[in-house]
Amino acid sequence: MRRIFFITLVLSFALSTLTAYAQRKSPRSKPRERIKGPVLMHTAADPDAVLLPNRSPLITFRILFMTGAADDPAGKEGLAALTASLVSGGGTRELPFEKIQEAFYPMAASFGSQVDKEMTVFTGTTHADNLSRYYALISRMILDPGFREDDFTRIKTNLINYLKVSLREGNDEELGKEQLYNNIYAGHPYGHHNVGSLSALERITLADVREFYRAHYTQANMVLGLAGGYPATFPAKVKADFAKLPAGTRTPSNFFTPKLELGTHIDIIKRETRSTAISLGFPIDVTRADKDWPALAVVVSYFGQHRSSNSYLYQRLREARGLNYGDYAYIEYFPGGMFQFEPDPNLARQQQIFQIWIRPVPPEQGHFVLRAALYEYDKLVRDGLSREAFEATREFLSKFSNILTATQDAQLGYALDSRYYEIGDFNGYMRDQLSRLTLEDVNAAIKKYLATNRMRIVVVTKDAEGLRDAILANKPSPMTYNSPKPQEIMDEDKIIEVYPINVRAEQVRITPVEQVFR
Amino acid sequence: MKTLLLVSLLLCLPAVGLAQAKRGAPPKKAKPASANQRKIFPYNYTIDDLPNGLRLVTVPADYPNLVALYIVVQTGSRNEIEPGKSGYAHFFEHMMFRGSRNVTPAQRDDILERAGASSNAYTTDDRTVYHELFSKEDLDEVMRIEGDRFQTLQYAEPEYKTEALAVLGEYNKNSANPASKLFEKLRETAFRTHTYSHTTMGFIKDIEDMPNQYQYSLDFYKRYYRPEYTTILVVGDVTRQRALALTRQHFGAWERGAYKPTIPAEPAQTEPREAHVEWPSATLPYLAVAFRAPAYSDENKDKVALDLLAAIAFGTNSELYQRLVLKEQKVDSVGVSFGDRVDPELFTVQTRLKKVEDMPYVREQILATFRRYTTELIPQQKLDDTRSRRRYGFAQAMDSSEAIAGALAPYLALRRTPETMNKLFALADSVTPADIRDAARRYFMDNNRTIVTLSQGTGRQTANKEGGK
Repeated sequence: MRRIFFITLVLSFALSTLTAYAQRKSPRSKPRERIKGPVLMHTAADPDAVLLPNRSPLITFRILFMTGAADDPAGKEGLAALTASLVSGGGTRELPFEKIQEAFYPMAASFGSQVDKEMTVFTGTTHADNLSRYYALISRMILDPGFREDDFTRIKTNLINYLKVSLREGNDEELGKEQLYNNIYAGHPYGHHNVGSLSALERITLADVREFYRAHYTQANMVLGLAGGYPATFPAKVKADFAKLPAGTRTPSNFFTPKLELGTHIDIIKRETRSTAISLGFPIDVTRADKDWPALAVVVSYFGQHRSSNSYLYQRLREARGLNYGDYAYIEYFPGGMFQFEPDPNLARQQQIFQIWIRPVPPEQGHFVLRAALYEYDKLVRDGLSREAFEATREFLSKFSNILTATQDAQLGYALDSRYYEIGDFNGYMRDQLSRLTLEDVNAAIKKYLATNRMRIVVVTKDAEGLRDAILANKPSPMTYNSPKPQEIMDEDKIIEVYPINVRAEQVRITPVEQVFR
Repeated sequence: MKTLLLVSLLLCLPAVGLAQAKRGAPPKKAKPASANQRKIFPYNYTIDDLPNGLRLVTVPADYPNLVALYIVVQTGSRNEIEPGKSGYAHFFEHMMFRGSRNVTPAQRDDILERAGASSNAYTTDDRTVYHELFSKEDLDEVMRIEGDRFQTLQYAEPEYKTEALAVLGEYNKNSANPASKLFEKLRETAFRTHTYSHTTMGFIKDIEDMPNQYQYSLDFYKRYYRPEYTTILVVGDVTRQRALALTRQHFGAWERGAYKPTIPAEPAQTEPREAHVEWPSATLPYLAVAFRAPAYSDENKDKVALDLLAAIAFGTNSELYQRLVLKEQKVDSVGVSFGDRVDPELFTVQTRLKKVEDMPYVREQILATFRRYTTELIPQQKLDDTRSRRRYGFAQAMDSSEAIAGALAPYLALRRTPETMNKLFALADSVTPADIRDAARRYFMDNNRTIVTLSQGTGRQTANKEGGK
């Protein structure tokens, strides 16, 4: 929290949530207990659309395809990302990309894409004045992409540089988080970064892109999302235009929850950097569609509400001890958390992880902070929430969903996700579920889903060997401060500084940064 | 949404006519619209000044239930005039969350939690902004705790020292990104006297010394956290009467201060400057080319003329961008930054190259683009398209109460009234191609220039070669 605004010197390399991966595996072993919401946003007359008409002068598009990095063929990791980027950032058969930019220019329009494991979404907003011209451009981009060689080379290089330079060498926090996902999902269709892997990206050809587009950009995979003050006849026009896409068939995939080897495993990424970034977590078999999701949403909001000083972890690690800039927890994928306060929609997945994000700390405190994170996690699992914490957090969340959906674009995104999870309107769903939730439900959900003996940890730091040796030896890591601390903190530090991390040598790996995303 | 609809109709009339003009056709003259029709900030707002100097701006908007409260303080890293105190305005922003006489941090968190609020703050060169977004029924309570911390902030030295470490943590997390370092070096090289020589984050040596400056933090509060430096902005599901009554109730007793800083003026630059950063780990090379340029103004055309030029010469639709990024693919982006600042600011073009060998070429291409517009007139159509873009861009950005408040806050820090936005856009409408060329001539001179490069290891030799003059 407390962000600082520099001039926007930072070049916009954040391809933010582009990403990647897949092969199909066996369906999940047990059927889920799902909640069916009362109101679905799509109607029987329009099963493949989510329409939110209103009187705003702005019109927002979210054109969703049910395909993503999990559909990348083996050895072609990054193909979904490259295809989407070429569609949204390349020319059409008729118009080179610079002509499209020229046409967008007076409208202040743009068109973007986001690729996650199971979803690819194309997004843009236009003023009603420009609707027909804007739509003419973006519909051609999706329906009639040029797939030109020069666009392909440019975008492929950008994706490679995103992994190789921006992520690997410019953002330790995001690097650690993404490596955590890669490690947890190793051997799984989710097991590579959404942008792909470096060696695979190098191999992908324009023919691969055409083939991916042909196979996955189909009517069966498409869901039209529209919000704003569009004319009443507009959705029908869009549907008619997009009927040019091949019909295709939608074969629902079931992605299994990875069964990790027992024990804690630590991956230390060795990199020349002034601080130490830490991420830890494990898979959970719960999504927004499940009965226990609202209970877990309360737990992570209490324990680590994103970028909020109300987070318990934040209070203990940053506020009381000044160890770093912030500490948070998640039950859904949330890329780019350092750049934004609310999550992006359309990252819906069948599989999620529980994750703790410890922002960079001075390297000499890395071991202590890792212990502190595990200590607090163990405490959460052991003690659960107090009644007071439960009630305050529940009240927060039932109002906070209004903030999550404060813009038209967010409303549309959430509605599309609600369609995916088969829950009703997100705000109504949250209010309804939260009002019925009890402290006992929440604490039972903690025991059921958040107790693990398969923790995965990723640390990005310079002295990887030193940290590894200290961890393996369970060497005490005493803390000193620049100011007096309350006795309660000093007492707790005595426990934390020797808090055991039980790992054997083969469970701690050092990865040179050059090898990440290979 | 009624207001929104109406607004959109008014807002875009002139722009639409222009945008529809065919390429190559003689430029259409925009129909003269009444001043009202041309207003870029379309919402009805009110301004109320309290006797203590505090200003309240209320903007009722049609988005239901939520209220955005922005408290804008006219202090930032520009005000860090004493040596060794860089980064202080930002650090002080952190201290504002460390408790006040009547509200502890835990109580504050509890109140905001029960309000379902999103709450934060940020600091820039010229301003510090505290903001919350919450349900309208909680306005009274949120105003109460805000009034309390602005008037009775209270923290002990140990908490102060702990917070100093969190700020160091913030520096640390930023330090992984070479672009942060490039920017730091650019500021330090281009400014030698003015406080814009340091970034808002501050010099690392000063950040490391922050734990020892407890007394200074108290002085900083007494100087700047005063009603005459502060504007309260309330946007959303709210009436003026309610906002004003609550402001009087919770901020009415706030005492006016007397402190006025003397910000050292930067003397005219007399020679081109260059600097290089050697980055210790793998990176692509970076290049920033900057010229000293004017401060924000809603009266003098130079600033807004160069704003228009920034998009035309270096934006994603510019010839330079299309050549370097799309055709030759020597760089992966070209960005331009030229913020609205209280004092003269840098007009900066920055880029990330794919190969260090291309540094002299890319540098020359950027310099040639700057030179080009000191003599060449921009086609009228391009200028009109750019104005259209600015108007639509603005309209599209204001899609929630929070977005409206967020867009307004920088202008309130500069001029304390939304009207400055309307004046600025009206001024932009009066800019001619000759105005742009003349402004470019005045500012894009070699002796106004600073170039900074960054690369791993051995980029220096190539990076420092002088391009054309």
